[in-house]
Amino acid sequence: MRNVALVVLALIVASLGVASAAPAGRVTVLCSPNPAWCDAVKAEFPKATGLQVDFVRLSSGEALARLRAERQNPSFDVWFGGTGDPHIVANEEGLTEFIRPAAWNDLRQEFREAVAGKYIPLYAGILGWALNERLLQEKNLPVPRTWKDIADPRYRGLIAYPNPNTSGTGYTMLATLVQIYGEKAAFDLLKAIHKNVAEYTRSGAAPGQLAGRGEVAVGITFIHDAVDQVLKGFPITYNAPSDGTGYEIGGLSLVKATPNRANALAFINWALTPAAQGLAASDGQSYQIPSNSKTPVPSTSPRFQAFKVIKYDFVKYGTASVRDGLVKKWTTEVFPLPK
Amino acid sequence: MRGGRGRYGSGLPVLRRGSMARVLTAPAVRPGLNSTLLAWGALTFLGAVSLPWARPGRELFTFSPEATGAALARTSPLMGAILLTALLVAAAGLVPWATASRGRAAIVLGALGTVLVAVRLFGTGQPFSWGVAAAALGFLAVLGTGLALAGVLRTDAFIAGSILWVAVFVAIFILYPLWTVLEASVVVRGRFTFDVVRETLRSPAFFLLNNPATPRNETAVALAAGGIVTAVGLLLQAVQRRPARGWLWALPAGVGGFVLTALYLGFGALRNSVLLAIVVGVIATALGFLFALLGERSRLRTRRLLGPLSILPIITPPFVLGLAMIYMFGRRGFVTYQLLGISTNAFFGPLGVAVAQILAYAPIAYLVLQGVVQSMDAALEEAAETLGASRWHVLRTVIWPLARPGVANAFLLVAIESLADFGNPIIVGGGKPFLATEVFFAIIGRFNPSEAAVYGVVLLAMTLSIFLVQRYWLGRRSYVTVTGKPSGAKARPLPPALDYAVSAFFLGWMVLIVALYGSVFVGSVTKLWGFDYTFTLEHLRSLSPTGWKVFWTSTKLSAYAAIPSTLLGFLIGYLVTRMEFPGRSALEFSSMLSFAVPGTVMGIGYILAFNQGALLLTGTSAILIMAFVFRNMPVAIRAGVAAIHQIDRSLEEASTMLRANSLTTLRRIVMPLVRSALLSGLVFAFVRAITAVSQVIFLISPQHSLATTQILTYIEYGSQGRGAALASLLTVFMIVVIAALYAVNRRLGAETRREMAL
Repeated sequence: MRNVALVVLALIVASLGVASAAPAGRVTVLCSPNPAWCDAVKAEFPKATGLQVDFVRLSSGEALARLRAERQNPSFDVWFGGTGDPHIVANEEGLTEFIRPAAWNDLRQEFREAVAGKYIPLYAGILGWALNERLLQEKNLPVPRTWKDIADPRYRGLIAYPNPNTSGTGYTMLATLVQIYGEKAAFDLLKAIHKNVAEYTRSGAAPGQLAGRGEVAVGITFIHDAVDQVLKGFPITYNAPSDGTGYEIGGLSLVKATPNRANALAFINWALTPAAQGLAASDGQSYQIPSNSKTPVPSTSPRFQAFKVIKYDFVKYGTASVRDGLVKKWTTEVFPLPK
Repeated sequence: MRGGRGRYGSGLPVLRRGSMARVLTAPAVRPGLNSTLLAWGALTFLGAVSLPWARPGRELFTFSPEATGAALARTSPLMGAILLTALLVAAAGLVPWATASRGRAAIVLGALGTVLVAVRLFGTGQPFSWGVAAAALGFLAVLGTGLALAGVLRTDAFIAGSILWVAVFVAIFILYPLWTVLEASVVVRGRFTFDVVRETLRSPAFFLLNNPATPRNETAVALAAGGIVTAVGLLLQAVQRRPARGWLWALPAGVGGFVLTALYLGFGALRNSVLLAIVVGVIATALGFLFALLGERSRLRTRRLLGPLSILPIITPPFVLGLAMIYMFGRRGFVTYQLLGISTNAFFGPLGVAVAQILAYAPIAYLVLQGVVQSMDAALEEAAETLGASRWHVLRTVIWPLARPGVANAFLLVAIESLADFGNPIIVGGGKPFLATEVFFAIIGRFNPSEAAVYGVVLLAMTLSIFLVQRYWLGRRSYVTVTGKPSGAKARPLPPALDYAVSAFFLGWMVLIVALYGSVFVGSVTKLWGFDYTFTLEHLRSLSPTGWKVFWTSTKLSAYAAIPSTLLGFLIGYLVTRMEFPGRSALEFSSMLSFAVPGTVMGIGYILAFNQGALLLTGTSAILIMAFVFRNMPVAIRAGVAAIHQIDRSLEEASTMLRANSLTTLRRIVMPLVRSALLSGLVFAFVRAITAVSQVIFLISPQHSLATTQILTYIEYGSQGRGAALASLLTVFMIVVIAALYAVNRRLGAETRREMAL
């Protein structure tokens, strides 16, 4: 027993010494999109710049929590991807810093204006539904067309909706309904939809998977996540409600207090090049619309023209106070209602 | 020990520690010299002089010559004083003093040295390095030796030093992080306020009794239920004519009735979590006890399957089981839809979570109770049977009372695990609120560590009550069965009816577990579960390089963490059951704390506490190891306490009488007797570390990413196949490890028995 302990102790000391070393010429990234995209970035960035990249995959809420916790002594240099509101909150709290990247003028103007210098737009994705039509047919139900349709009691137990407490997607839907119908009517609608919800999921991509597996008939999700499910072979279709839908602008931010600023900037500039953005669809299983107007839009990406997309007010609904207020209201007034 | 010496009735004269300990603990090696102090003084000096005291960044293993004590002493008088103190300690070991005066000198020097090191560390605020660790631990050992020599602590140097070391570790790695979290719950943006606490506790997500959306008045119903229970209690009392006991039970029962009804009718995280913990705690403990009886006492062959199969659910991350259950029992589940033709998602919600937790935690109860049932002396049962008791009667009056401490321990562990579990509620909870997930949502979703801290405090309060109830229930009884006197009696078999019933139930359980894990294994080589069952190796191949890397990191770090958490846990278990010292209960309680709070709270605490300043640890593998060690240590403590409770104190007293010091007693007497429990503890600590999720989700860094979080990421992003592949890999590996350890344990068990027989 003692000998074993000694050997193990020696091993610990030896391997810790090796493992903790982090050589120069690196950039450390908080990566919030699909992990396949993160993997692709890790493989390609060194080829373009000679710098190595290390990343941790955390959803955007987790990433913000991590940045906050590490405020005094950040261990990350760049925050790559994820829905916009946490990027705005991080900017407001002084955790991240907005800088103009080299490709600023090539970025789509409407994206740049929408986020008003809070963060760098990386991509855009449209909110919509993943639909399992086979299950709908089994239940003799028509394919829903509008937000009001899915509030119909006939769809009871057939809807999955990401919890706005954890999911940027869930919050985007909440804010979208408020922007279309006004706060009062939107919450009445949400209360009706609540009765039909089979499961509030933690992540925004999960409802699409639940629809794919046939657990629910309607999964509220970003359409590009539904596209991923379709391409993986799940028997679903996607659509967006005809009474209007919202969208997200994914973010890219420089961590303000990073000691590794030069490498961080190199990474940001690279991430906005058409070559780097093309990785999303080719290797990253991510089918958003890239922010650089010179990057060809992937053929599989859902287009803005195909749906009735509202003029989403990112600055207002990304502000921490507005966001917290709406999420809290949902949590106290909708979430506890009996189903 | 407190007021309980007589009840162990060992026949030995009771040691009067005050006078005896001094004689026993200062062995006269050579008059005028104390080798313990000399050695510690020299070690402290050498460590402080040659090791660096600070490091430039996050890397733990750096050596810069200008940061060693020797180099710093040239410019810093404080460092000079520290080194001088260490030398004085060595001198105090050499000077021919009387034991007590030497002890007082050691106390002064040890305390002074510890304070100086702390001043130096927090004064500079630079991240600590190994010199600090060596000096601090050295001076603490000196202080401990002094306390023992001077007779302040009525024990010897080893125990006194151990107590101090353990106390400091517990303070730094459990109390301090929790303190930072608690502080965050009432200090919001630098201002002290109870707003967040009030707001959180009023939120319907926490608990809502009178739901305005329902016509019923839930409060009234609950009050009525409480009243009815009280009335029934009083009525029974009247019928049975036992007024004193009737009053004693009727009122608490009424309150219990009210609380349970209120919980049942209410809404919110508190309700879901508490009901779940009660249900899961009771069922899992009952199953664990039955399985333990089955394993030790059955005459049927099925019992051989018990060890390996009941262990399976705890060797994979819990959410894997949850996912498998959705595959099998979801709306498109293999069993529910394909076999039974039911289309329901009733499984999403408390029912699903309860089933998943019972599957996952009954083995924990089994592990705890197995040792207890194993070490029951069959001679007692034989005696009872000779006196004419039926087998059922023996089960009720002999086996059950002996198993009670173990049962209470098992219930405590399972209930707390259930309260703090995060994986199952998140996967199969259907989005219903649970306390542990609300903590997570508060931090992750609402970015509100204060609110999370409030939930953490609530969980802590509940765990504390379970802990106290358990202590009350155990009472002041003795459950000694290992007396050192060989017992020739063989284990008594179970009554046949019970044997067959439990075996049949166990077979059903086994089929369920095999099916669930089968679906994960099949899923890892299937193109698309549920749609395209083509065989493929694509998922396994795609594990390289990321999957393999995280697998290796997980294994390595968990293995490192398992050994200290087991040894430390058993040491604490020994200290709190056998030793008497000021702050004993405080130590026991604080070391259990890290287990009582949900992992997420502990994770956030670690980040808040160790991200800057002198104690910087984030971004290193050390913080993950520490998180594992102090999170899993309480399990080892409970196992240690349970095992040590069964050893007759007279064995140790005999050893002490024969002038063995406590280190020798611990090593030669206690350790061999609890060896099998130690090994189980080791396996368990390793398993728990490798399957941990919630406490490390905030602590992983790019260089130190773990398999569980990677699997969760894969599953969340629809790469179920890849997730299943990594999970299968992990499961297979754990099976191999556990099989190896079981083989060793069996050999050890046989050896111990042989030794005991001699």
